[in-house]
Amino acid sequence: MSRAVEGARIRAMIAGQRRLERGRLRLAAAGGAAVSVAAVCLLGLSGWFITGAALAGVAGMLAAQTFNYLMPSAIIRLLAIIRTGARYVERVAGHEAALRALARLRPQLFSALAAAPPERALGLSSGEASARLIQDVDAVQTLFVRLSTPWALGAGAMSAIILTSMATPTAGLLLALTLGVGAFGSVILARRLADPAGRELQVAVGALKDHIGALEAAAPEMKAYGLQDWAADSVASVAARHDAIQTRLTLAAGWIALWQSGVTALAVVLVVPATVGASLPMTALAALAAVMGVEAASGLAGALHQNGAAAQAMARLDELTTEPSVDLQAAVPSHGLRLAARNIDLAPGMRLAFTGPSGAGKTSLIERLAGLRPARPGEWFLGETDAAHIRPEGRRALFAYAAQDVRLIDGTVRQNLLLAGPADDAALWRALEDAALADRIQTDPRGLDAPVGAGGEFLSGGERRRLGLARAYLRDAPWLLLDEPTEGLDAATQGRVLEALEQRLARTGQGLLLVSHHPAPLSLCPVTVEVGKLHGPLQTSDQSALLTA
Amino acid sequence: MTMTAERDIAPAAWLKATARPWKRKVAVTTLLTVADVAPAIGFAGGLAMTVARFSDGLSAATPWLALAVVSLIARGFVSQAMLAMGATMARDVKADVRARLLADLFQRGRRSADRLAAPVEGVAALDGYYARFLPLRIAAGVSPLIIIAAAAMASPVTAGLLVFTLFPLIVGMALAGSAAAAESRRQFSALERLSGLFIDRIRALPAVLAFGAEARVTQEIADASRELETRSARVMRVAFLSSAVLEFFSALSVALVAVYCGFNLLGLLPFPVPEALTLAQAFFVLALAPEVYHPLRRLAAAYHDRQAAEAAVPSLVVEAAVPERQVDLPMTAPAVRFKEVRIAYGPGAPVIDRFTLDVRPGQIVALTGASGVGKSSLLHLLLGLAPLTGGQVEVGGAPLGEAGHFAGQIAWAGQNPVIIPGTLADNIRVADQSASLEQVSTAARAAGLDLSLDRVLDERGGGLSGGERRRLGMARAMLKRAPLMLLDEPTANLDSASETAMLDVIRKAARGRTTLIATHSTAVAAMADRVVRL
Repeated sequence: MSRAVEGARIRAMIAGQRRLERGRLRLAAAGGAAVSVAAVCLLGLSGWFITGAALAGVAGMLAAQTFNYLMPSAIIRLLAIIRTGARYVERVAGHEAALRALARLRPQLFSALAAAPPERALGLSSGEASARLIQDVDAVQTLFVRLSTPWALGAGAMSAIILTSMATPTAGLLLALTLGVGAFGSVILARRLADPAGRELQVAVGALKDHIGALEAAAPEMKAYGLQDWAADSVASVAARHDAIQTRLTLAAGWIALWQSGVTALAVVLVVPATVGASLPMTALAALAAVMGVEAASGLAGALHQNGAAAQAMARLDELTTEPSVDLQAAVPSHGLRLAARNIDLAPGMRLAFTGPSGAGKTSLIERLAGLRPARPGEWFLGETDAAHIRPEGRRALFAYAAQDVRLIDGTVRQNLLLAGPADDAALWRALEDAALADRIQTDPRGLDAPVGAGGEFLSGGERRRLGLARAYLRDAPWLLLDEPTEGLDAATQGRVLEALEQRLARTGQGLLLVSHHPAPLSLCPVTVEVGKLHGPLQTSDQSALLTA
Repeated sequence: MTMTAERDIAPAAWLKATARPWKRKVAVTTLLTVADVAPAIGFAGGLAMTVARFSDGLSAATPWLALAVVSLIARGFVSQAMLAMGATMARDVKADVRARLLADLFQRGRRSADRLAAPVEGVAALDGYYARFLPLRIAAGVSPLIIIAAAAMASPVTAGLLVFTLFPLIVGMALAGSAAAAESRRQFSALERLSGLFIDRIRALPAVLAFGAEARVTQEIADASRELETRSARVMRVAFLSSAVLEFFSALSVALVAVYCGFNLLGLLPFPVPEALTLAQAFFVLALAPEVYHPLRRLAAAYHDRQAAEAAVPSLVVEAAVPERQVDLPMTAPAVRFKEVRIAYGPGAPVIDRFTLDVRPGQIVALTGASGVGKSSLLHLLLGLAPLTGGQVEVGGAPLGEAGHFAGQIAWAGQNPVIIPGTLADNIRVADQSASLEQVSTAARAAGLDLSLDRVLDERGGGLSGGERRRLGMARAMLKRAPLMLLDEPTANLDSASETAMLDVIRKAARGRTTLIATHSTAVAAMADRVVRL
């Protein structure tokens, strides 16, 4: 898949959001145009008015009486009101459209990330993912807000050119040239200074969050080894890099603004002498209109300044999304499993255990089946279909998985259990009972609403494991997948857990795939496969043992 | 549980106090902000004189045109200098605040995902306050008066008018400043919530995927995201409305000056005034009039920065660090004495109560007991990761109550060794930053970790199996030269052959050390000099 095609996905998402916010964005563009026209006319007209009045005053009482001061002064006030109102409309409509679009983009992107192949979805650190969904999404805000910029710039430039042309056509032409040079220079400056800094900034904030997230998770370890200061310094140095880039970006904005001042000066220098031959009020009008015409381009400078960050953010967000693979089938053909290398066939309801030395790859083997790691072609089959040909999310539906590395969300006991799907309190308590955890939860006055802490830190290791087990029990799936379900449990608790598991399996008719080092849990299964040692097919006697279990 | 120091602290006072060490940079930035008025006056004067002299021919106007141009360019440079100064000042203050936050985060040694937003989003919210608002606040009081004084030289009446029009503006500013403060706080809280939610749910993503809970978690994120949008939209509308009102006032004021000047020039004023303006004077004050309001409008625009910063302050305040008294443990194996020890994490029932134990120097003690009985908590106590809420603990005669913890002087292998992104060697070196590669490699071999030391690991473990993680923890404990060793379930996730090998490793490592092991394994318990059942 080429990079250009990848960029297309996030672009399509943003285009979709723009369509949804079309009304507001058009309003913002109209507002932006009105602001520029009003600002140019306001200052130009004021200059003309003052100068005209001065000439009339000098010319004597009669000229002063006939000088039409009511019209211009009324128009000046009207323009002032239009400018204020239009700016308010432009800002509110533009930002509201952007905020609403971003609020919809975030869950959309999270869901795209979750739907990505497991190696991609799980390969991203939490800090990095958070930076993408917060800071990168914020950075694309400019793609909505700046839509009004060309309109404001165009309308402001046009009206300034028309007004100066009314003094002399040469003045108008020179202003048009100056504006062109100004815009060109701004673009060059932005590309050279702001773009690289903006791009680096998005990467740097991701690195910073990534670093903080990783070290925060290790905070107890850091403290235990007296590394608090090292950890803090290490984050601070990543942060310092981020801050330095941010300063560079700020200064880049300053250089663009400085260029704009230079362009304003150039406009005055060129336009004023070019009005020789026009009346003095027209010179004043032309000079002030030229100044405001350049100012109308300041919106462009703002947009250019954020360009790099937005472009980088788009690329980073695009990495989160993946084209759904068309050659994978969604439907699961059968609930029967087959481990090809060992020639093992498992009909629904059967039980099989895996054991083997640590590091042999037991966890990887079952996670490849359950769609949490990339599947290997020819390893697992569902019915007659190679698991590698079935979408991971389709395979996941078959399994209720209690992982070795229990992942809990920072919420209550109830929230963690309900990840498995909707269930009433009675069902939750039954599952906790079967995991030998109900007593412990009952001692807490908050019961199911007791918080478990970040990563389950309020629970002991064994309690976390049993909560993970209870959660797996709550999932209605044909296969129970238990990885070291009794690790860290004392013998008595282990006995209770296994007894309840035996009864539960009999009741639900679920099949069981179990990974363990311990004899007690292994005894639940009629056949135990040694992973990492023998790669030959299973003995026929074992295959019949599977059937009779 | 976090101990967010969200006390009754005035955000404005905190923000000011935080900038105190950078008084000079604040002063220079403010000075540069005020210095902006000089080229502004120069430009107005140059433009006015250019127009006034233009009828005498281009050459008469040229010097004035040059003044206008030079002023414009000078103005650009002044503002760039101000920007640079403000940015470095803000950077320094932010780095200082962040350093304090990080010290607090790691000093506590407890996980607190909801505090993760503070060093990134929270600190970022300070930028606008220090880079823009703070210098502008002082400049906004001084700059308009300087410009009005300059205008007074051309037209005292206009200067009077300008002073008069400042009052409604200042009232409007005060109103804009006080509005939406509470809403800003709610907006920042929504941002913190969303940021924390992302980190937590991505950490739990393997479980989310395994349980097909994507739709539910996406809904949670959509809700938090919408909440942030609603709050932001409210804050934004108030900010834009107040700046629109100010802009409107200033436009009306400029129009008032324009009308006065026009009528004065025409000689049609309905009341007597002590001055008759020339075109140059009139044009000068007219060009200056918007400049009077310019600093105030910029300040109004920066009000948003102030509110954002004030909203973030409650999350940025950390308790002043209690200077810890480092109590050095002896270099030889110490005796460990627990007397009537009580550990309670919250107001609920204690995890450990009235626990008494005497461990002789060099002994290996296995702590066993049902899951959840508090074995890990006893080990955490010595590391300062669990609170001593009653009783006494002494290590080598040093009381824990006074030291707070002996972290940094203990060889420790936790139940769930955390992996930091980096190589395997980096991960072992967590135990001792000064260790040489040779020492790291020896520790790895001793712990039975026969993987390449250059192997890169990510925060999810980079493909280490449960047993390999366990060995990583042991390698850390082996690397650490400390007289006290604490091991939490050192043989979990190991097959029986590996467990036997690991027992040898522990026995070797325990030589000359006092060792406490929390375990369920009968083999480990059999190896210990003493088994204590909790």
